[in-house]
Amino acid sequence: MPDIATLLQVLLIVVKVGVVTMILFGLPLPLTWLERKVAGHIQVRLGPWRVGPHGLLQPFADMIKLLFKEDIVPYKADKLLFNLAPLITMVPAFAVFVAIPFGDSVMIPFINKEVTLYISDMNVGILYILAISGLGVYGLILGGWASNSKYALLGGLRSSAQMISYEVAMTFAAVGVVMMTNSLSLVEMVKAQSGSFLSWNIFYLPVGPVWFVIFLIAGLAEINRIPFDLTEDEGTLAAGFHTEYSGMKFAFFMLAEYVAMVTISILAVVMFFGGWNAPLEVPVPIPPIFWLVAKAAAFIYFFMWIRFTLPRYRYDQLMTIGWKILIPVALVNLLVTGFMRI
Amino acid sequence: MSRKGFDLFDLIKKVLFTDFVKGLTVTLGYNISKSITMRYPDEEKWIPYRRFRGLHTLNRDENGRELCVACELCSKACPTGCITVIPEENDSGRGIADRVAKVWTVNLVRCLFCGYCEDACPTRALRLGREYELACADYSCTLMSRDQLLVPQPVPESIPGGYVVKSKLERTPQGIKVTVDLSKFKKRSI
Repeated sequence: MPDIATLLQVLLIVVKVGVVTMILFGLPLPLTWLERKVAGHIQVRLGPWRVGPHGLLQPFADMIKLLFKEDIVPYKADKLLFNLAPLITMVPAFAVFVAIPFGDSVMIPFINKEVTLYISDMNVGILYILAISGLGVYGLILGGWASNSKYALLGGLRSSAQMISYEVAMTFAAVGVVMMTNSLSLVEMVKAQSGSFLSWNIFYLPVGPVWFVIFLIAGLAEINRIPFDLTEDEGTLAAGFHTEYSGMKFAFFMLAEYVAMVTISILAVVMFFGGWNAPLEVPVPIPPIFWLVAKAAAFIYFFMWIRFTLPRYRYDQLMTIGWKILIPVALVNLLVTGFMRI
Repeated sequence: MSRKGFDLFDLIKKVLFTDFVKGLTVTLGYNISKSITMRYPDEEKWIPYRRFRGLHTLNRDENGRELCVACELCSKACPTGCITVIPEENDSGRGIADRVAKVWTVNLVRCLFCGYCEDACPTRALRLGREYELACADYSCTLMSRDQLLVPQPVPESIPGGYVVKSKLERTPQGIKVTVDLSKFKKRSI
């Protein structure tokens, strides 16, 4: 029979998991709105405008539409895999957040108890995140395979090749950060970067910026966003792996994509931009989580901004960037980092 | 990829992502600039210039007499033959002459708004006005008769046009209507 303290501990974890999951399920609503607004304004349009003030209720209208849409399973499709694929994509995207720290511990005011703002501080957190987020590609491949459609199959194949190529570069970037901070745990990484913004990993000259650029490019390719969205290249593949999906299953793919974007943003902040550390000493007390959210929001905006600026790379260019540029640069950088850390 | 040899300047440009930064600056500039979308008909409406050729209008002189003398030149000049004029004798002072139009209709489905009719008109009775909201749910609005065209149009001749005014979309059981406030206007931002 476990004692009351252990039960409370378990209850606390369950509550945390529930809160994080709810936030992640709700997150695509503002993000789709923001993405369409950014798209509109970059193209000197207005973006969503008619549903609610400034089109704020547009995501809800879209959600209702997706909920009531007919759920089509193509003829001769592999029914089980077709239904399973969105879940296989979505679950790893959510599971990654077990290891992501949003802040150090805070005091809950009424019950006077200290609560940590992360679900689990794994001592191999970064390894866990890379491993789990790599699993998400199975959903893409299986979805493409099970659709019984050429477009979807080609999209799935492309996504697998792209993932394999860029996972290497991304892991190298993670290794670089691990070398700079002497820890695999994300909480330790942030603690190692405390102080002013000069102690952030991005300012670990000369290797920090290079690791950051490698991480950012590989991250963009991992989350299938322009300029690396070869898997859903509408010019050649209709919609890529989710060509045959509609309704809520399509929404699950979209959800996984947005959650992955948030993951990469938070990872970039945690690994290179000091996590929840303030950039400068400020006299007013600002909760540390504000800094994390603000920095991550800046990255999310950056990803959207880049989406409506750059064209898509060709498939051979994608492979050239991955294997001929990023990985050699990462290897040289690894050597330099190693010498600097002796 | 050119094989002209090693270009240090090009390499530095690539390492510093100068082309990317240039592109991103351009899009950021557009992102913070004002949108050029006109919010018609909810908030704004474009008032065309005087030269605009919209719905026909039949004018009166300052005493309120019809300027049209039913000479039928407009219907003769019309390339599609969409104007029907039937003259009649009327000396009650309805028109400026004894000859007035008994029937003056224009078939807007046929009309191509070329403006030959207003060029042909000897008394400047006929003008192509600035009304361009001509859509309707049935054929009732495609045949415009004299009585409808004699009603002055919402944008008077005195306004030069070429700008955006505030407007409002009104939904009534009779249909939808765009009302404009001509007192304040602004140039269209480009």
